[in-house]
Order: sequence, then structure tokens, then C-alpha cells
Amino acid sequence: MLTIRRKKGERMLPSTNGSPENVSGHAGEEAPHLRIRNLGIRRGGRWLVRHLNLDVARGEFLAVVGASGAGKSSLLACLAGMLKPTEGEVRYRCTEGCQHEPENFRRRTGIIFQNFMLTGNNTVLSNVLCGRVGRYSCLRTLFGFPGSDKREAFSILNDLGLGGYLYRWAVEISGGEQQRTAIARALFQEPELFLADEPVSNLDAYLSGRVLGILRQEASLRRRTVFCVLHNPDLVERFADKALSLDPVNPESWRLRNLH
Amino acid sequence: MAEQHPRPTGTFPEVKWHERLNVLNVSMIIFLVAVVFSSPAMKGSGRDLDYLGNFLRFAGNFFPPDFSVTGVVLLALVETFQMAVMATFFAVILSFPLAAAGAQTVSPKWVVILARMTMNLIRTIPSLIWALIAVAVVGANSLAGVIALTFYSTGYLGKFFSDAFESVDVEVAKGLRAIGADPVQAFQHGMWPHAKPLIWSYSLWMLEYNIRSAAIVGIVGAGGIGVQLFFYQDYQMWDKFATVLIFILALVTILDFLGEWIRKKVTNRMNRGGLSE
Repeated sequence: MLTIRRKKGERMLPSTNGSPENVSGHAGEEAPHLRIRNLGIRRGGRWLVRHLNLDVARGEFLAVVGASGAGKSSLLACLAGMLKPTEGEVRYRCTEGCQHEPENFRRRTGIIFQNFMLTGNNTVLSNVLCGRVGRYSCLRTLFGFPGSDKREAFSILNDLGLGGYLYRWAVEISGGEQQRTAIARALFQEPELFLADEPVSNLDAYLSGRVLGILRQEASLRRRTVFCVLHNPDLVERFADKALSLDPVNPESWRLRNLH
Repeated sequence: MAEQHPRPTGTFPEVKWHERLNVLNVSMIIFLVAVVFSSPAMKGSGRDLDYLGNFLRFAGNFFPPDFSVTGVVLLALVETFQMAVMATFFAVILSFPLAAAGAQTVSPKWVVILARMTMNLIRTIPSLIWALIAVAVVGANSLAGVIALTFYSTGYLGKFFSDAFESVDVEVAKGLRAIGADPVQAFQHGMWPHAKPLIWSYSLWMLEYNIRSAAIVGIVGAGGIGVQLFFYQDYQMWDKFATVLIFILALVTILDFLGEWIRKKVTNRMNRGGLSE
């Protein structure tokens, strides 16, 4: 079980239905991990998504598909709390049963950015260790992360075939290796929720399958919710539980499909 | 999975002439106009003087250089070096908070304005004036030189460092914030690795610069080789003066090469990767 110390300034929202335990109303069924209500995102003078309503259960693998410019990345940015929704709301429910706004759920949100967002002049190892910045205070990390963390990061990197790259700078490795470093950082974070923006765009078929397999396992075995922007329909069919497709022309005609 | 794509638009959008008037182009034009209007500065006294003859007569005094003062000069040179090192050290320390306050990507707007004004003020006062103030306060010795150069170079390094912070892509730091980093961690892990090589190379440049300045501030008595320089100048001993200049030149050249080499090593690794290789 992952325990996260609350950092100063983090606000918990009061649970809407009073008791934090059983909120959904259906006895025995768990409340959704993520609840999106009437979400609308407007950027650059046009609506990307509108009236999006979505309940995502804990441990679900949800693929986000749609043509480029359809607002997939903006939706993920919204879920990450990096972009304020123009209308509507996003709420997370943490394992303790409290509701959170995305801004207060950050340490539990692992993000694999489309452009990786690695610190170029830093080693692969340090970049991966940064996944856990949210767990420690800045004083604890001022002179480096705990040794046990380093060994853990190494084993994750080893799994992704980057064991020999520990002390290379992020700028010195290839695009695919950078992408795997970004994935390793998210995995090392051990978040409750993964937001992956085209996590396999730079990887070959074998590595794509491997990375998505790992994310699939995170969802199935460790009940971590995965939001993953994917372009390859085969991969969507193979790994996702549901597919949310966004429409670049009509922001209101999003569609959610059950795949299994 | 049928994905709908937006329809292509009709005509090719042309750029209008007034759309080319961006800040870069307009400021370049303004500078060229300023050059034309500034030509009166080239006027001189207006009398017909023998410029070349004057120069040759004065320069002739420097040759041959008198190397009999080598020992004294070397001792003064060591003191100059020590002054420059201490001043750079203190300036680097003082510059950090000032630079962080002056970087738009780190601090709020009003702090930036305040910090930039402070740095501008410090830079406006020439090192020689700083030296005069310091000599008045602590007396004519090398401490005065260290104090003067510290203030002077803090004004420069503060500006360089805040430029270094601003040149760092803040997106990475923002990304770290999005996965739960606090501002200090976002700075340490997202910005500092990029700023560090730049900051070190600026610091090395400042050390070189301070050695040159240290030679000047000595003229008002703030220690170092400038004292020699002033003395020989005052007594018109131009051959000994030339010796001092030669030694300063040698030291600065050596440091320049060394600094350049280190700076290259430091920043090369930074720029590697991608298509630029």
C-alpha cells in the first residue's frame, strides 16, 4: 500500500455524500476513481470538448483516441490540473475516500508527457528519481534521494532496457530512450492514476507492446487507473478496456466505447 | 475507428507588409536611424592635429620595456589575482538571490522590477567609483579592491545569472510541479541542471574580467598591480609601465584560454543530442 504524506497547503474537498466510505449509492459497488461532469475545454477561440461526462472506475485502462487537434492532450492537461477547464469539473477520489480537485491530486498522478519533459542536463537516473519529488519535502531531496529509491529506479530502468544508461544525460540518449525514461519516471512514482500522452510514439512494436503491457498490469494487478492517448487501433484493441474518441469537428460528439 | 479530420481551407494566407513590423525588425530600424543621428560624436576638436605622429611619439616611450621590476610586478600580480578571486567568490554568492529575484520565470513581476533596478544601479556606478568609496571606508589596501570589485561584479553576475535562469525552459519545471514537486524542488530538479553550466561559465568570465578590473582599481589605491601602474604613470616611467602591461596581458591571456577551454567543455555536453550533433 502506498502511503503519501500530505504536504502543506494541500486541501481536501468534503465528500459530497457525507460518508467517505460508500458514496455511489449502490451498496458494494465502489465509487468511481475519476468523475468528470459537464467538462468543456475552450482553447484558441474554439471548443475542443464539451459536455463531457465520464465515470472511470479504479483500475480501468482507458484509451483516448481522435485525430490530431481533437483536444486529447488538452483533456489530459485538464485531468492533470495543468489546465483549468472552461466549464464543468473533474474530481478524483483517493484511496482514503476523499474527493480531490486535480491540483490537489498531483502527487498521485503520474504523467508521461508527449514531449517527455525530461531535464536534459541531468542523468537518466536523476530524471527517474524526480518521479517521487512529491513524496518528500524539498529539504529531504536537497542533497539527493534515498539510496533505496535509487535501487528501485535502477530496477525499473533495467526492465525497460535502460540499465546501462543510468549516468547518461537525458539529452545524450535517443528519442525512444528518452520516452522510456519518462515512462520509468511515471512508473517509479507509483501513482494512483497514469496520464500517458502517446507513450509509445517513439517506440518500436516490441517496446510498445512491452510498455503498454506494463501499464495494463499496473491497471489490472495494482488497480491503478490509466488514461492513455493512443493512435494505433490495434494497440487500443489489445490493451484498453474502453476507448474515448474525441471529434475535432464537433466538440460535443465524443464517444465512449466498451472494448471487452 | 473512423477518425474525422478538419476540412482544408481555401486560399494561401499572404503576409501583409505591416505584419513584418515586429519588435525585432522595428528595433533594428530604430538603431540604424540612431546611428545616423549620432554622427556628430565623431567630430573631435576640429583643429588640425598630427594624430599619427602623436601616437607614435607616445607609444615610443614604452620601448624597450624595463624588466628590472619583474619581481615587484609579479608580487603585485599575485595580489591582483587574489583580489579578483575573492571578489568573484563573494559576487557569485551575492548574485544568486539577486538573480533569482530578477528572473521573470522565478519571481513575481514587482520583485523582478525591484531586483533589476538594483542591479542596474550597481552596474551604473563604474568600478573605479566603487573603489573610491571602498578606499574611503576601509583605507588604501587590497580589501578595498575586493569590496569594490565584489559590488561591481555583483551587478553584472546578477544580470547574467537571471538571464541564465530565464533561458531555461520552464516547461520541465512546470511538468515537475504537475507531478507534485514544490517550487524549490521544481527549481532544483527542473531548472538548476540547465542553469548550472551557464552560471559557471559566466562566473569564469567574471573572474577574467575582475583580473582586468583589479588592475584598474589599484589606480585609486585599492591594492594590486594597479598601484604599480599608477605609480609608473605618475612618474612617467613608461618603460616600467610597459612591463606591468605585458605581465597583465600574459595573465589575462592565459586565463582567457583556460576559461574558454573549460566553458567549451561545460557547455558542449549541454548542446549535444538531437539533430545538432
